[in-house]
Amino acid sequence: MLVAALAAMALAAVMIVPLMLPMRAAHAAAPSRQEIAEALTCQCGCGLTVANCNHPNCSFSVPMRQRIDTMLAHGMGRAQIIAYFRKQYGEKILSAPTTQGFNLLAWTMPFVALVVGGGLVVLMMGRWRGGPPSAPPAPDDSSPGASDKSDKFDPALRERLERELRERR
Amino acid sequence: MPLIGQLALALALMVAIYSIGANLLGMRRNSPDLLLSARHALWAMCAMVTVAVVALWTGLLTNDFSLEYVASYSSVTLPIQYKFAALWGGQQGSLLFWTWLLSIFTSVAVFQNRRRNPEITPWALIVLAGIAIFFLGMLNFVTRPFDLLATVPPDGSDLNPLLQNYWMAIHPPSLYTGYVSAAVPFAFACGALITRKLDDGWIRTTRRWAIFSWFFLTLGNLFGARWAYEVLGWGGYWAWDPVENAAFMPWLVMTAYLHSVMIQERKDMLKVWNLALVGMAFMLTLFGTFLTRSGVISSVHSFTQSGLGPYFLTFLIAIVVGYTLLLASRVKDLKSPAEFESYLSREAAFLFNNLMLVGIAFAVFWGTVFPVISEAVRGVKITVGPPFFDKVNGPLALGLIFLMGVGPLIAWRRTSPQTLMRTFLAPVTMGVGAGVVVFAMGLRQWYVLTALSLAAFALGTVVVEFRRGVSARRHLVHETPARALVNLVAKNNRRYGGYIIHLGVVFAFIGIVASSFFRTEVKRSVRQGQSFSIGAYNITYLGLKGVENAHLEDLRARLVVRSGGREIATMEPARLFYKRPQQPATRVAIRSTPLADLYVVLAGVDDQSGLATFEVFLTPLVFWLWAGGLMMAIGTVVVMWPNVRERAALAAAFGRDEALDAEPAPGGD
Repeated sequence: MLVAALAAMALAAVMIVPLMLPMRAAHAAAPSRQEIAEALTCQCGCGLTVANCNHPNCSFSVPMRQRIDTMLAHGMGRAQIIAYFRKQYGEKILSAPTTQGFNLLAWTMPFVALVVGGGLVVLMMGRWRGGPPSAPPAPDDSSPGASDKSDKFDPALRERLERELRERR
Repeated sequence: MPLIGQLALALALMVAIYSIGANLLGMRRNSPDLLLSARHALWAMCAMVTVAVVALWTGLLTNDFSLEYVASYSSVTLPIQYKFAALWGGQQGSLLFWTWLLSIFTSVAVFQNRRRNPEITPWALIVLAGIAIFFLGMLNFVTRPFDLLATVPPDGSDLNPLLQNYWMAIHPPSLYTGYVSAAVPFAFACGALITRKLDDGWIRTTRRWAIFSWFFLTLGNLFGARWAYEVLGWGGYWAWDPVENAAFMPWLVMTAYLHSVMIQERKDMLKVWNLALVGMAFMLTLFGTFLTRSGVISSVHSFTQSGLGPYFLTFLIAIVVGYTLLLASRVKDLKSPAEFESYLSREAAFLFNNLMLVGIAFAVFWGTVFPVISEAVRGVKITVGPPFFDKVNGPLALGLIFLMGVGPLIAWRRTSPQTLMRTFLAPVTMGVGAGVVVFAMGLRQWYVLTALSLAAFALGTVVVEFRRGVSARRHLVHETPARALVNLVAKNNRRYGGYIIHLGVVFAFIGIVASSFFRTEVKRSVRQGQSFSIGAYNITYLGLKGVENAHLEDLRARLVVRSGGREIATMEPARLFYKRPQQPATRVAIRSTPLADLYVVLAGVDDQSGLATFEVFLTPLVFWLWAGGLMMAIGTVVVMWPNVRERAALAAAFGRDEALDAEPAPGGD
């Protein structure tokens, strides 16, 4: 039980920690046009980001990329540029929900669901463990490499091979 | 021809309705003749839909612009392969194609079960016919592929230029095959629930269908990604577009199902969960089709929007509610033995794997529908795009890769901590070693470090498994290493085919991580003869060449690529102009190597100044995404390969008929 709890905690840590850190630390120092364009949604109807819009002569994303270049050349930072466009076009310009108010639900729900689901799985396994003891394991019930015996070769593997040999004769 | 097509669709609808009636009556009166007639009716339905498909293809290939569909999605000059592909390029045609696949798969299921599963099959066929009736209803009354135009135009408006690409010709059929074949396990699950035949008979009957569906969902997603990579011209392959998400979700759920079903086959547990998963997978395929058709959420795939949304939504809700009620009404019959010994067991690993896969599917679903929720609740339109999905799914993917490394090495029932230590020593060493090496190489992004370590760990697991198997054969059966490897895979194809798929997933994961984090980009405007650099490459612009035909104008830039002073390639990115729809497009040039892809887009040409503008991306290791995909496909073929020994054993145990399509429990050898 303790081992399982530790394993579950380790797993949870692996999954939660990333959220605390910027995913693309490499970009943090000097914002690139690409990085800002990825944070903005193209309004031409393509549904992609300003960075990814595929229309060669798009009336929105093409000038937008130029505006970002100009703003970067004037020394504006990432947050400043994004805030500017948000003011101009509204929240829909952002390619991800903000982390405030109702939008927090977007970010937290998947993890809440995962924790609840994980809780249920652990609970179920706990209940099953309390069930009636089962019959002794069949010879093929273990997988290679998972035997408790320190035989050089796994009994399951040996058994399988011996069966194949018998069939060959 | 249009008249024949329309008539065939009407007849198909009638025989589908008849087959339901004949099945119901046949079961009530216990009449084998009526049941046989119902099965034949479904073959007739397939024949009729085939006639309709041939009729539409004929219209497309003969430029019959009296057909509204042909006039909208084809043109005189459209190359013949795209005329062929135009069948699924527009809404009515793609629905017809969907229905055609469904009717083919239904016919195959009819044939496979002509002497098997006498209780379940009629009900499964009723469900399949019911689904077909919905689509045939749409094709007959709502969105008709054979509608005629009052005045016949001299030429059509052409297929969307984005769809005039090799990958687009094969991506939709693959994905549709994956989508539609998920209906067969769903129908048999319904049959099992209705008849209360809830042992694993329905699972054995449809196991190959589920793998078949998974195989084509995998290919469909990969081909779609490849299409995006080659056509959209932004250097990436996945944009978390709602319709991409819709294709990804059933894949995730089907993957979960293929794992959890092993617990049921082996231990008779998780019956309700497996029935829920198979239902979810099918519902998500319908949801995907609904998203593409309805335009509820704006998407790059809005090629085929229409007013079909309300019908699809109603059908989807009916399926969700109906199936949920059916499942709920049978929960008492689905009591499973509670055999579970340890948290350190394969069962536990599989359960967490399911949690992770369904968790990712939920996160994707949630992100996809959140804009609709936000608008309904706050009245504010928002976008949920790539940054959201990357951040939320990134950590979940790590958890999944970790479990993929754990699962194969941990025993069913229980494993002692000592065995665990011994078994995992090699994979853990590989994982930690890989992390240390890339850290020493100067890599500092924690996510990449973790991802690469976990990938090496999962890789180590597979290597250990293969090494053990080969080593045992070499010593006990005295085979050469190569022969031992071949025999190991051939005689245990389900297990080792699965490991080949795992290898593919690991390689694809490495490709995705590296290409997402380390892609570099330059944009340069140069004159003829001028050069610029990206990474180790030096690129010289040699000039433009124009090629024109009746269909399009093709303006190609000629580039020479040098590395270390040596000429290594010439590349020709192009700007295209499609004449009928008067639309521009780009054709990217890609030089792919296992280390990195050089990806060049001709962004613009200024006639006056003679400046050509290039956007160039250098994407490391993206090659491995496609290589991993190929490996997954090969692994799936290995898994599905008929195993002569297993069949012989089954034939002896159950009699010949049973053995034709049934399979033994996985991992049992």
